[in-house]
Amino acid sequence: MNGTLLLQSVIVGITNGFVYALVGLGIAVVFRGTRIINAMQGEFSLVGGLVAFVVVEQLGWPLGVAAVSGVLAGGVVGFAMEWLLVRPTRRRGVGEESYLLLTLGVAFAISAAVLYFIGRDTRSLPGIGGEGSALVFDAAIRHHAIWLVVLSSAVMLLLRLFYDRTRIGLSMMAASIDEEGAATIGINVPLMRSLSFLLGGLVGGLAGVLVSPLVTIHYEMGLLLTLKGFAAAILGGLLNPFGAVVGGVTLGLIESLAVLSVSSGYKDVVAMTLLIVIMIILPNGILGRGSRKGG
Amino acid sequence: MLRVEGIEAGYGGLPVLKELTLAIERNEAVALIGANGAGKSTLVRAICGLLPLAAGRILQDGREIQRLPAHERTRHGIAVVLEARHLFGELTVRNNLELAAAHGERHGTAQRKFHLDDVIELFPFLRTRLDAAVQLLSGGEQQMVAIARALLLQPELLILDEPSTGLSPKVVREIVGALATLRSGGMSILLVEQNVALAVETADRAYVMALGAIVRELDAAAWKSVLGDETLLQAYLGS
Ligand SMILES: Nc1ncnc2c1ncn2[C@@H]1O[C@H](COP(=O)(O)OP(=O)(O)O)[C@@H](O)[C@H]1O
Ligand SMILES: [Mg+2]
Repeated sequence: MNGTLLLQSVIVGITNGFVYALVGLGIAVVFRGTRIINAMQGEFSLVGGLVAFVVVEQLGWPLGVAAVSGVLAGGVVGFAMEWLLVRPTRRRGVGEESYLLLTLGVAFAISAAVLYFIGRDTRSLPGIGGEGSALVFDAAIRHHAIWLVVLSSAVMLLLRLFYDRTRIGLSMMAASIDEEGAATIGINVPLMRSLSFLLGGLVGGLAGVLVSPLVTIHYEMGLLLTLKGFAAAILGGLLNPFGAVVGGVTLGLIESLAVLSVSSGYKDVVAMTLLIVIMIILPNGILGRGSRKGG
Repeated sequence: MLRVEGIEAGYGGLPVLKELTLAIERNEAVALIGANGAGKSTLVRAICGLLPLAAGRILQDGREIQRLPAHERTRHGIAVVLEARHLFGELTVRNNLELAAAHGERHGTAQRKFHLDDVIELFPFLRTRLDAAVQLLSGGEQQMVAIARALLLQPELLILDEPSTGLSPKVVREIVGALATLRSGGMSILLVEQNVALAVETADRAYVMALGAIVRELDAAAWKSVLGDETLLQAYLGS
């Protein structure tokens, strides 16, 4: 096998891996704050990517403004989702499993709405840092890929600090660990749940802005991202803050190396099969038992 | 200070509390005793807002609070240590305490404020365990963290649901001692206890609860001699 080709695949794998990690991180944020498995996490990215596209291509505003708009759009959708659908559903006292169906339903609805209003056309955003590449031992790394890895790492670290150090982050943790304990010390538990969705939406929007220069924005991208992100989160352990990175990069590498050995049409099959094998061997995620422990 | 007037509450349409009425005055320590299943914990949950009322009123300093969500009732000077403690196990002792302190600073109503140093003075073991995850502490230590956390809400009334259950005699002494210190500092206390001998040490008077209602009210004199009252202990506590 050609060394440059291998290195190129590793670079692609890591880049995609960070996207999956971000989506997985969003899923983990929502799960940690609400115990809901959010099947519409990828839809936050679809909306975020689309909004950024409209701002930069149709309004002609700078990419920075577009990126921020995309991230905020994800947050708005997340918050609205919790406020309009999750909260009333919870008030009716449904079981946890119902939320999976609820979020999956909304995911299909958003996907269908995008198909209806925007159609099957695919669009993509310009890369951050231009369309240039850097060369490493003859393998090319797009500037955007470097930005993607740096920005997502920064977001992951910031989130970590947010949960560990800030009062609001700690309150969100407390509310998810013990609802009644939190309420009796004055924490507004329903508000903390809304904030978890808001935060998940922001992370999802960011993932959308970062992935859209790499893969085109289209109405079906949400569910695929959710699946990959969910795989990353499970692989790394849903409750471990760095789990999603380990899981995402593992998944990204498996995929891109699979393309080297089999045809690219099979990459999802190979990746998901390997994923199932890993989950059977390591049911608690790559990082082991501790990573799955919850409240 | 706290008045509970004719409240009814239960679980899923099944009534537990039946027209229950009681009152606690400022600067009083009142015990609530009764057999297992009498509804003591249900009453505590109703007072702090974790269980909605089907009827009745709860007044704190004359203000109706029964419609407020639990997190807002803490702004009216009531802090509770629930039966199961409900600490945040994965968080450190410091985080558990600071979350309550942050809320108490803004919304507490107590005259005399508690600071981290004060609760450490009350429970000295805390000093060396501040950065340990709560789930690594012993049951007794956790109970003390739960009490400290409640105090940092700066309450005027502290409600404790069976704080001695399952703890070693040594720890129980420590908790009873802490309650005495709080009493002398002017804290009002509602102490739910099955262990009457312990409750007598802390409380000035008592309510006896059975089948979701207050069945006896013991004034200071009757309460002091309750341990000699075999018929009462037999009838309501099965001891
Ligand atoms: N979560 C619950 N769901 C249904 N019934 C409950 C629940 N908690 C308590 N009960 C019932 O309410 C009654 C009173 O219980 P509780 O308030 O815990 O009594 P106590 O604290 O005095 O031992 C009991 O009959 C108990 O079975
Ligand atoms: Mg009880």
